[in-house]
Amino acid sequence: MSALPMNQDGSFLSVSGLERSFAVPAGLWRRAERRMVLRGVDFTLWPGERVALVGASGSGKTTLLRSLLAIEQPDCGHILCQCRPVQPAGMAELRWYRQSVQYIPQDPAASLDPRMTVRQQIAEPLRRFGVDCDHDARILEALELVGLGRDFLPRRRGELSGGQAQRVAIARAIATRPAFLLADEPMSGLDLPIRRQVAEVLRELSVTRGTGLLIVSHDILDAARLCTRVAVMDEGRIIEDRPSADLLADPHHPRTRELVNAARPLMPPAGAT
Amino acid sequence: MADSTVMARRGARLAPFLPALSRVVTLLAVLVLVGLLPWLTDRDPALSILRARSGDQEATPEALAAIRAQLGLDQGPAGYLLGWFGGLLQGDAGISWISGAPILPGMLKATGVSLTLMGCAILVVIPIVAAIVAPVLRSGLRGQVRRSSGAVAAAFTALPEFLLATLLLVVFAVWLRWFAPYGWTRWSDAVLPAVAMGIPAGGLLGRLFSDALAGTFSERWVATWSVAGFSRAKIVLAVFRRTLPGLLPQVGMVMIGLTGGAVAVEQVFSIPGLGRATLGAASAQDLPALQTGIMILLLIAVALGSLANVTSAILLGPALRAGALPVAMPESAWSRRALIVPVLAFAALAALVLMGLPRDPFTSAHMRLEAPGLALPLGADGMGRDVLARVAHGAVSTISMAVVTTFLALCIGLVAGTAPRLMAGPIEITKATPPVIAGLIVAALMGPSAGGAMIAVLAVGWAPLAAHVAALVTQARAQPHVQMAPLLGVGPLRLALRYILPAVFGPVLRHATLRLPGIALALAALGFLGLGARPPAPEWGLVLAEGMPYLERAPWAVFIPALALVLLAVLAVSLANLERRR
Repeated sequence: MSALPMNQDGSFLSVSGLERSFAVPAGLWRRAERRMVLRGVDFTLWPGERVALVGASGSGKTTLLRSLLAIEQPDCGHILCQCRPVQPAGMAELRWYRQSVQYIPQDPAASLDPRMTVRQQIAEPLRRFGVDCDHDARILEALELVGLGRDFLPRRRGELSGGQAQRVAIARAIATRPAFLLADEPMSGLDLPIRRQVAEVLRELSVTRGTGLLIVSHDILDAARLCTRVAVMDEGRIIEDRPSADLLADPHHPRTRELVNAARPLMPPAGAT
Repeated sequence: MADSTVMARRGARLAPFLPALSRVVTLLAVLVLVGLLPWLTDRDPALSILRARSGDQEATPEALAAIRAQLGLDQGPAGYLLGWFGGLLQGDAGISWISGAPILPGMLKATGVSLTLMGCAILVVIPIVAAIVAPVLRSGLRGQVRRSSGAVAAAFTALPEFLLATLLLVVFAVWLRWFAPYGWTRWSDAVLPAVAMGIPAGGLLGRLFSDALAGTFSERWVATWSVAGFSRAKIVLAVFRRTLPGLLPQVGMVMIGLTGGAVAVEQVFSIPGLGRATLGAASAQDLPALQTGIMILLLIAVALGSLANVTSAILLGPALRAGALPVAMPESAWSRRALIVPVLAFAALAALVLMGLPRDPFTSAHMRLEAPGLALPLGADGMGRDVLARVAHGAVSTISMAVVTTFLALCIGLVAGTAPRLMAGPIEITKATPPVIAGLIVAALMGPSAGGAMIAVLAVGWAPLAAHVAALVTQARAQPHVQMAPLLGVGPLRLALRYILPAVFGPVLRHATLRLPGIALALAALGFLGLGARPPAPEWGLVLAEGMPYLERAPWAVFIPALALVLLAVLAVSLANLERRR
């Protein structure tokens, strides 16, 4: 890759003191109350890093991800990207952020518009953000990175398999050459060989292009295999945030231990290499 | 940016009250519209009163000013409006511009007649609903799910009231002489009008009810209950309890439809009811009487609609709010045979139109009421004009008006449906307004005309499309690829046009197409009641109305236009059935 984006120092994505609560409306036997979903989250993602965000359902992973995507307003706390504050706003104000932080959704097939061809899908962010480059070349480059050829360009959602759809979704996310990629369970619902393919694509991206990856997952072993670092969330806090191998070998927090033990205890942790 | 956040929060706090606010504003707007009719009408009321009272008096400015002062029209719109509402609250609806007598006593008496008529109609509705529902219930208890009654029965019950009333009049009063053709003195006078109103309402209600029952019978618990040995009576009771609440809003709509139907039926049978009085006031431009009539009609419609809503809320209880009810999903049963009826109806209509189009609909070239013959296949009307030509040209004019109206309704529906909470009030109020009432208001504003009829039908016709659009937009917005779009830099305009509109347009266009014959019938109904196209235009409703005085001597002048409308009704219902089965 000749055109690697150079990551200057300070180009990190970080959150500090993030809090978020939701109102639970009163029911027949219950008073209205506020439920804390994020209770002061501090977290930083550096370029070239692959970080897994794991935790049981309801631990606040999705809310943290939505805050990071600037589609949800936290009650308090800051999000900084390249030393600029980020919060939900209109398209024009967030253009720089959306271009440098892209998202890979959970359900790849459903996240593609059934009426658009693969070319149109991948061109969409390039056109909307007005990226100044040869769009066709950039589309092909992105497709190539995820291991798909130009014969996929005219296809639509219905003509793609699950793994192909997920790779198109990744190609769409990396077309603008973002500095960071946020992925929500990118490998759930895929067959084992395809999981391996997708994981390989993501690893390639972070190694060759220095893209910072944050991967939300509920499977701690799977996540540790791909990622260099694992952050464990529980009840709205990050309770442990350490290199994958260390964390798997010696989980400090009891909740982490539960997660590690619950996940396929018979298999050796491959991330330990 | 902080400001916009605060604004957004404030907006979010107001959001739950938006639908209620929208309802109140719409209701007030309708009241003000009706209250200000004398100010909004494009003709000078003083002049029309002068003409009505004494045809030969010179229309000098002094004479006109004197009449304005006498009517209270000189005090400005706000003063007039306040005076009118104040009077209404004290039981004084003003005096008639034509007769000079107080309006309210006569209107209340007419309302009594109309309510009696509607009561009689409900007596007809009940056995019809029972007859349609019974087979579904029987097979449901045997464990078979049976949908919808036969297409022919469905089409017959879907004839609009004015048409059915005309047909009943021809057959039972004129040919068979079983009943008097008009009047309101004996109980037997109520039979034909009640049947004319009850058959369409009962048929529609019966079909809705049997479809809903079939849906309930296909739910799992019914099978579980019958295997567990519950008695049939218990199961029937539970099935009813489960089915009724979802149906009650539609019962409300049917009752509201009865209000509009009553107007047409009273006109056909010359019954001194509220609808006829209001129609008379509209044609005489007696605006205070018209205002009062419209207010009472609206009041009845709103009362019936809210009664249904309240009953449904009580029956359902908290399940309604929690959204905990399972939604019945009818399985699709789609066959080629379902296409036979609409295709036949369409072919017959097309043949009628193609045969009549080359002929001249305007010239009185024949003997008055000439009987059908070789040169004149369908006879001549009361002015010696070719009935075939008038019906064919009427088809073209009525259907092209319907096409334009449907297209405009589609456009309004597409725009209004994107803001369903804001439009909750207009959607509900217009749904609760029969086209006849809208036609009365429009005719009061700008005089009866074909354009006015289109505006009136459009004013109430957009609401179902908007409601459909709203549902589809909500569905489309929940799609992951739409939710994801803002992250790809897609702005709100492109999101609406490129992502949401394509998902909405197809189904709504299909829905609008299916509504086309119904809208044509509504236009014809307004024409029939004198609220639409003016003579000598060949418009279906008008052609039918023109034949009515010669019913006994030249039944073909009524029968042929009626037949054309029946074909259209059959087409409308069979198309709607196709849609529901899919």
